[in-house]
Amino acid sequence: MSETSEEPRAVVRRRRRWSSVWVVPAVALIVAGWLIWKNYHDKGPLVQVRFETADSIEAGSTEVRCRSVKVGKVEKINLSDDLGSVVAELRIDPAFEDLLRRDSRLWVVKPRISTNSISGIGTIFSGAYIELEPGEGPTGTRNFKGLEEPPVASANVPGLRLTLVAEEAGSLSVGSPIYYRSFAVGRVERRTLDIKNRRVRFDVFIEEEYAPLVKEGTCFWNTSGIDVSAGADGFKVSTPSFQAMLIGGSSFAVPKGGTPGNPVLDGAVFELFSDESEAKKSVFTPDHRCLVFFDQSVRGLTVGAPVEYRGIQIGRVNDISFDYSPLGDSRVPVVIEIDTTTLNKAVEDVKDEGKVLAESVRRGLRATLSTGSLLTGALYIDLDFASNPFPAELTQIDEFDVIPTESSGLARLQDKVDAILAKIEALPLEDTLNKFGNAADEIAITVKDVRGTLAEAEGALAEARELLARDETQNLTAELDATLKEVRASVSSFGPNGAVQGDLSRTLDELRSALRSFKVLSDSLEEEPNSLLFGREGSGDPIPRARIVR
Amino acid sequence: MEIRSAASEGLASCHVCGKVSAVALVHCPRCHGHLHLRKPDSLARTWGFLIGAIAFYIPANLLPIMTVGGFGGSSSDTIMSGVINFWHHGDALVAAIIFSASILIPILKMLALVWLCLASSGVTSASPKALSRLYHVTEILGRWSMVDVFVVSILVCLVQLGAISSVTPGPAILSFAAVVVMTMFAAMSFDPRLLWDRQHGLKIQTGTPPSNNS
Repeated sequence: MSETSEEPRAVVRRRRRWSSVWVVPAVALIVAGWLIWKNYHDKGPLVQVRFETADSIEAGSTEVRCRSVKVGKVEKINLSDDLGSVVAELRIDPAFEDLLRRDSRLWVVKPRISTNSISGIGTIFSGAYIELEPGEGPTGTRNFKGLEEPPVASANVPGLRLTLVAEEAGSLSVGSPIYYRSFAVGRVERRTLDIKNRRVRFDVFIEEEYAPLVKEGTCFWNTSGIDVSAGADGFKVSTPSFQAMLIGGSSFAVPKGGTPGNPVLDGAVFELFSDESEAKKSVFTPDHRCLVFFDQSVRGLTVGAPVEYRGIQIGRVNDISFDYSPLGDSRVPVVIEIDTTTLNKAVEDVKDEGKVLAESVRRGLRATLSTGSLLTGALYIDLDFASNPFPAELTQIDEFDVIPTESSGLARLQDKVDAILAKIEALPLEDTLNKFGNAADEIAITVKDVRGTLAEAEGALAEARELLARDETQNLTAELDATLKEVRASVSSFGPNGAVQGDLSRTLDELRSALRSFKVLSDSLEEEPNSLLFGREGSGDPIPRARIVR
Repeated sequence: MEIRSAASEGLASCHVCGKVSAVALVHCPRCHGHLHLRKPDSLARTWGFLIGAIAFYIPANLLPIMTVGGFGGSSSDTIMSGVINFWHHGDALVAAIIFSASILIPILKMLALVWLCLASSGVTSASPKALSRLYHVTEILGRWSMVDVFVVSILVCLVQLGAISSVTPGPAILSFAAVVVMTMFAAMSFDPRLLWDRQHGLKIQTGTPPSNNS
């Protein structure tokens, strides 16, 4: 619509409704909107993890890694609402959103030095990071509770996971190794107190390659610390490896006599015995519970004490209590559980297994209380066929078979005394006494000799007295006088004018000069002891120098 | 004011060579350029670019402008967080420069353009002298906003030390560049003569080219 000109060439056009320039803001809005949306979308999910402390994690720089691959970053660290913990907000890359599963585990990897491991040394320089271990559960979880300690074995590591149940935790703790023949094949992952059963539960991890070693019938026992025990067989000190001594440990094996079964599956539960002997004791499977009555003190007999047949353990003491005795019986009832298979073999001609015990008793099987160790006074129950038994039969009280006993105390004591006496007898006393006698004889002879010598001396004295009384002896003085005179004459030659004197003084002079040269020699030896061997160094001023090392 | 404008006489200055000739000629007799009384579609184009610039201004400020990676992880900053960081570290001067070049100037420029557009379409009124001065200031200052873009692009080129330190541009820097370019286009397509036209009550249909033969 041009008003400015009347030109005939003017062409009137309809005004375009939309100028093409509006494409620019439209595109700009779309692009800007897309940029913002993409940025927030690409940021990935925000995950909140609760830690006890934010030690060594830093907002904005601490990374989240999964198997050392960076999957996110700590964005913010806040104190929780109740101020009791720390909530770290992690931004996970959208590509790794799948890692966020319900049972995913997160913990801070930082340098840790403990008794059994040193880990995370690399983070001294690179700074701590948060490790994310994906779980198996459904995805979509955004709130996690971080672990304070790194899990001992990652749940993904293949291996056998068992549960041990023990009465006492002992020194077995998280991270303690599990040994098989003193070779570490696994470790304790978790230690919990089962409040309901009042027992300690250990979650144990056995590495995959060693998993087949654990079979049904395997026994686990504590090898922590030094174990000193006094039992029926004397003192026993067992020490495990040094490491196990420090941090505890547990061993397992299929004990002798035990029958290894099939390899076990994950989650199997085993009893953790307090020591190896406990574990071994547990192996045998008693099939028979019997009662024995002792008409004597059972002091020294403990529950668990062995029941032996000719030295081979076939059972153990189960209980000692008057609860089992009939009213009015003053004998001490002891419940024992035994494995009759050993007896079966000993009494092989009895085919009916149920009758073995009865038949054995008929043949004279008796229980006696025996001293296992004189040192500790521990007792055990010995089952044996008596040499001349009083006739007895297997009786029954309640559900127990009653094995007759042989009052052993005094007899055993007598035996012991006999043995001691025999030993005393066996000592070479007579021989010693004989030797003593010989010695006394010899002394008597010597005394006799001495007496003879004294008599001889007496005789000699008498002779001397006689000699003195004689005239010759009296004249001796005159002779002596003469002799003295002579002597005096000869001595005069030693006088100052005597010839000897001159010789003597000369000799003395020579001696003196000799002594002087000796002094010189000794002086020089003192200064240079080696001159004796190597001769003297050239004279002149000594030149200071280092010792010559040859 | 009885000032006769060229437009009221039917004269247009050629956009290319500046020769004033009758707009009725359609084409410049010297350079054969199109003749318009005023920049064609000036207000609409200005508004268009302005809205585009405002749209891009939002991601430019919300998204990280660059990411500095180094030993202790990496950190990405938006423009404003960068300014705040500099301020907290005591670099008040740097903070002020970045703030004025990256935040203040673009905002002022966009506000100024909005005001100019509103004034030229008669919604608000101010003295044309002040408005034209505002227009010139806008045009001169506007290009300095590019400083930010240049800083980031130079840093990205220079700081590439691998694991020790590296700078990567963020998505905001492209938006920011778009903001700067669009405000420049907006300022270019604005025809300040519209301000006086409005003042003089000249009724020129600025929104359309007077005539068009293609």
